Amino acid sequence: MAAGAHADPKLLPPEQAFHFSARALDDKTLEARFEVTDGYYLYREKLKFALDPGMAELAATLPVGKVKEDQFFGKVETYRGDVVVRLPLPAPAAGKSVVLVADSQGCADAGVCYPLTRQKVTVAVPEPGKGPGPVVEAVPRKKYWFN
Amino acid sequence: MRWTLLAAAALIAVAAGVYVGGARVDSTASAEANAALVGLALPDASGKEQRLDQWRGKVLVVNFWATWCAPCREEMPEFIKAQAEYGPKGLQFVGIAVDQPNKIEEFAKEIGLNYPALVGGFGAMELSKTLGNNLMALPFTVVVDRKGQIVHTQLGNLKPDKLRSLVTQLL
Repeated sequence: MAAGAHADPKLLPPEQAFHFSARALDDKTLEARFEVTDGYYLYREKLKFALDPGMAELAATLPVGKVKEDQFFGKVETYRGDVVVRLPLPAPAAGKSVVLVADSQGCADAGVCYPLTRQKVTVAVPEPGKGPGPVVEAVPRKKYWFN
Repeated sequence: MRWTLLAAAALIAVAAGVYVGGARVDSTASAEANAALVGLALPDASGKEQRLDQWRGKVLVVNFWATWCAPCREEMPEFIKAQAEYGPKGLQFVGIAVDQPNKIEEFAKEIGLNYPALVGGFGAMELSKTLGNNLMALPFTVVVDRKGQIVHTQLGNLKPDKLRSLVTQLL
């Protein structure tokens, strides 16, 4: 019997294909980062950020993606490689931790798409005048190096 | 004696799992997951509940898809062709869309879908996981024989040649 429904054994789970991390640049700004593995892409319009609790969507200036002409949806922008997004904090959080929630959705060139994937990181926000803080990964890379 | 019997039973089970009605079974779905699929009831895009067992006795091709999934959309014209060609011989495609009903309807109209498109939520993705779609990715397609036994599962596009050879074997 064939295993895993004929999936390419190299097909990564979305959290690994779209490696998410974030850090605080200063007391007012977070920086979110998706490292999109070669052979995968993310949809720009599906990228959403929020703080938990509350889950109000954060105002984000998303970088311009590569425009793909989709026969059903028209122009669709996609990201490959690194995607870096600056996120202004909606309320002062100096010296506190915030939980950043990122929703993303993408596909593999191998011909499969993943459903919406939610990833979370807890970021320590520095005191005013300090920063940037350390990078926090949603799924630490060392955890899946040997998988 | 007891162990010999057990071993024989296990061998028969393996053999039965691999060959059902002459078609090679290459699905890892458990009996429970198989039963859950063929007993599934989901609303269609108009909200009417559709049960998969209404097509019992037909060869079923259950395709998990979404309008936002480009590889899913690419293979659907081929499914439409196969439904038109083999439908009268007992083939039934059923789409389970992980999507919003209005988008499903719009897309179904646009491509002239000639088989039902049911609306599946996260539960449908969870079901596909039990059928072998570990990553819950799309498209994911399950071929069920006339007896209700899953004989093939496919993550990613089900190539036209593969689809035809599977279907003609089972019809």
